[in-house]
Amino acid sequence: MDKKMLKRTKFFLYMVILVFVVLLARLAYLQIFHFDYYWARAEKNRLRILPITAPRGEIFARGGEQLVTNRPGFTVSLVDLGQGYSKETIAYLALLLEMEEGEIRQKIESQFYRRYLPLRLKTDVSMEVVSKIAEKRLELPGVLIEVQPIRNYVNGDFLAHVLGYMGEGVVPDWAAEHWEKTGYEYEQGEPVGQAGIELAWEPYLKGEDGGLQVEVNSTGQAIGEFERVEPRPGCDIYLTIDAPLQSALEEALHETVEDLLAAGNRHAGEAAAVVLDPRCGAILAMADIPAYDPNTFSLDFPDLEKDPRRPLVNKTIEDHYPVGSTFKMVTALAALQEGAVTKTGRVSCGGVITRYNATKSCYRRTAHGSLNVVQAIQKSCNIFFYEMGLRLGIDTLAHYAREFGFGSPVGLTDIFGEKKGIVASREYKSKIYQEPWYPAETMDAAIGQSFNSITPLQLSNYTAMIANGGIHYRPYLVEKIVDSDGNPVLTAEPEILHRMEVDEAHWDTVREGMSLVPLPGGTGARLADFPIRVAAKTGTAQVVDREGIIPSHILFVAFAPLEEPEIALAVFVKYGEDRRGNMALPIARRIMEVYFQIPTE
Amino acid sequence: MLDRRLLKNFDYQLLLFMLLISIYGLLVLSSATQGISSNDPLFYVRKQAVWLSIGAGIMMLIISINYLHFYHWSWYLYAVNILFLGMVLFIGKEGLGAYRWIDLKVFDFQPSELAKVIVIITLARLLVDFGEKTESFTAVLPFLLHVFFPMLLVFLQPDLGTALVFIAIFFGMLYMAGIPWKNLLILAGVGLALSPLLWMRLHDYQKLRLLVFLNPELDPLRYGYQLKQSMIAVGSGGLAGKGLYQGSQARLQFLPAQHTDFIFSVLGEECGFLGALLLLLLYFFLIYRIFRIGSLAKDKFGALICTGVATMMLFQILVNVGMVLSIMPVTGLPLPFLSYGGNSLLVNFISIGIVLSIGMRRHKIQF
Repeated sequence: MDKKMLKRTKFFLYMVILVFVVLLARLAYLQIFHFDYYWARAEKNRLRILPITAPRGEIFARGGEQLVTNRPGFTVSLVDLGQGYSKETIAYLALLLEMEEGEIRQKIESQFYRRYLPLRLKTDVSMEVVSKIAEKRLELPGVLIEVQPIRNYVNGDFLAHVLGYMGEGVVPDWAAEHWEKTGYEYEQGEPVGQAGIELAWEPYLKGEDGGLQVEVNSTGQAIGEFERVEPRPGCDIYLTIDAPLQSALEEALHETVEDLLAAGNRHAGEAAAVVLDPRCGAILAMADIPAYDPNTFSLDFPDLEKDPRRPLVNKTIEDHYPVGSTFKMVTALAALQEGAVTKTGRVSCGGVITRYNATKSCYRRTAHGSLNVVQAIQKSCNIFFYEMGLRLGIDTLAHYAREFGFGSPVGLTDIFGEKKGIVASREYKSKIYQEPWYPAETMDAAIGQSFNSITPLQLSNYTAMIANGGIHYRPYLVEKIVDSDGNPVLTAEPEILHRMEVDEAHWDTVREGMSLVPLPGGTGARLADFPIRVAAKTGTAQVVDREGIIPSHILFVAFAPLEEPEIALAVFVKYGEDRRGNMALPIARRIMEVYFQIPTE
Repeated sequence: MLDRRLLKNFDYQLLLFMLLISIYGLLVLSSATQGISSNDPLFYVRKQAVWLSIGAGIMMLIISINYLHFYHWSWYLYAVNILFLGMVLFIGKEGLGAYRWIDLKVFDFQPSELAKVIVIITLARLLVDFGEKTESFTAVLPFLLHVFFPMLLVFLQPDLGTALVFIAIFFGMLYMAGIPWKNLLILAGVGLALSPLLWMRLHDYQKLRLLVFLNPELDPLRYGYQLKQSMIAVGSGGLAGKGLYQGSQARLQFLPAQHTDFIFSVLGEECGFLGALLLLLLYFFLIYRIFRIGSLAKDKFGALICTGVATMMLFQILVNVGMVLSIMPVTGLPLPFLSYGGNSLLVNFISIGIVLSIGMRRHKIQF
């Protein structure tokens, strides 16, 4: 080693000594010169953190109506004072809070890591419990009453599947990962959104908890000087939902289902509907029944889980169904665009058709005579569309179905869980059944049967696409987000996901067919007296289960006004078949009456 | 295999100090982790003991390798290092808001720890190769770039503490290599002048952690609270401490990271000033022996590696203990051989292994 290096090594060692001397000096300062002070502070170390839960962001409807707010509630907590808890304290709390002693002990055990934080035993306890604990304060050292915001769903089960609910349950990994992208870290055991907007927008709604650094006295009450960090409330969310419309829709769904049940239809009970703005994709109403009351969700859960009508499932997006004749516009448009038929081209309907050894018929074997595509939509003639299906072939038909957003999620990301549904196709059949496609099946597919299965949201989006000439907007529920200071954080922008390349004349032809449906001679003629011109289509989807043929699903899609559509809607009534006619139609009518403010007769 | 004649120059004292620190660490760890895992009170101690054994094994292996091989492998090591650090940013496992680990199923590999020792080796070679023309200021630039890339990748994880270790290693080794004072001072000055730019790139929580030791009220619910509790723990230990397993602060788990970053506060509380003095003396002798080996090394490469290892240990001790005593910002650097954690332990063993290897091979073997 050269001389220079030796010199530098020496200097380095002096630096090392200096570092150690500094550290030792600081140690001596703390441990020797200020020993008494720190000893006393450690002896009765009562420095604790009391978190202050941030009020969660509120949720509003389009018109500013409050849908979800917070109310103050009392929480019973334990503060560790360093000497554990007496048997009596735990026994008394178990009795008072209706908990098992073992459960309380387990919670204490699980908090071992963070004993400087209070342990929340039970939230939202009654005033009676609070006063009983207050009376016995001196006998219950370490028991603390905290005031915490409790989630309040103002209108009970109104819009429940969209809003979601809160819980302390386990968050699915994919949700946690989704949140992580926004930089949100979720703490296990904290109340957290479990479905709907509450789940998907958790990072925005949550806010930032604050807290107090306090000295507690020998009974665990906060005393003396303390430092406070104010919580930052979560962001408020304004939905695209039109509250009066949503309310009328939910009411109409309930009335219809009750009506069906009263008429002796023991299968009825579920229904769903979605109303979209075809000019941007905003969801104006989205309802399905039955749902749940998010306020009492955890209490009701055992019953909800057992209910055969599946109140836990959001049937507008998480379930898909055969949609029957509402599918026929896909076939009509494909046939026109592909040149399989012209606007004036006719097909003769004798009520029955036999092809490829399969005999198929029109509804109730009605013979419609010779009709063109406009009339075929108006009358919902099966024979015409069977013929179109055969002319197009399954692959072209499936292609157009996919163009309309069937077979894949239509892109709603403001709440999670959208299913993709099924497009009847060669690929699907070979994948699921390992069987080739038979031409006779193409006929079924052309009228919306076969494997075709579609969510109510997809159906409404498809209706909107007919209304706006093939533009697939991403459906959305969140109009804007505003932080606690009132600054906008996010404002929805319509987003075009896809644009169909179809001649404008063909859209007009299909719309013309739909415009005749609610007029005399059409399948929806009960709407003939409606003061605004409407384009519509009825649907009936036959269902066969183990019991044999059971009541069909009833559907109705519509958009209005015909010339410049403002709303597009799809209504689905599960097992809603009834002798009085299409049971979804009066629901659609009710929606349009409320939207266009037309007085009911 | 290992030549018996090599053992003549084996530095048993360094080995002894290292083992004493490790055993001391295990004792304090057993107190710090009391009750964290209720069904197995020795869970952490056992795991740490396993890491110690593995580390010792790897160290033996390293000792048996002639350290001059590292000179030849230097560029491969540098490439592998960059690769690992780059991988963390893409497939890294998230923890505490940063991406630092790669999940190897058996354990979570933390490339930034290994990066420290690799940078020491590769920078040593670079300094040896270009060591003669170091008078001009521009001669510093290759060394600067060499350390900059791995440091940047670590900084992006983000892991500010470890990134700072690279800076310490850089200055320590360049100084020892004979780079003129003046040039290093200019470089440090430029670095300080640019630090506001760095400051703007920091996350809010990082800024808060850096400032909170000056004013605990900045973050009274987390780090401010931790630092207060840490000082109460250390201060209440007094001259002789409360006795192992007797610390009320440690028993109440006031410090969330008391088995990792804040283990020194448990030691301070339970073993007192004397216990802390003992540990610091052991550390001092450890570092002294490393320098001694460096000064006796047969070549500049070995001497510079020793400097790098010593600087790394010294810096981590200063920053960690300083943090516990509230005279340094909160950066989350582990205390060598004491903090719980396999990655840091392994890298410390590897470093000491290389140093021992340098010490053994300081003379040409005499037959």
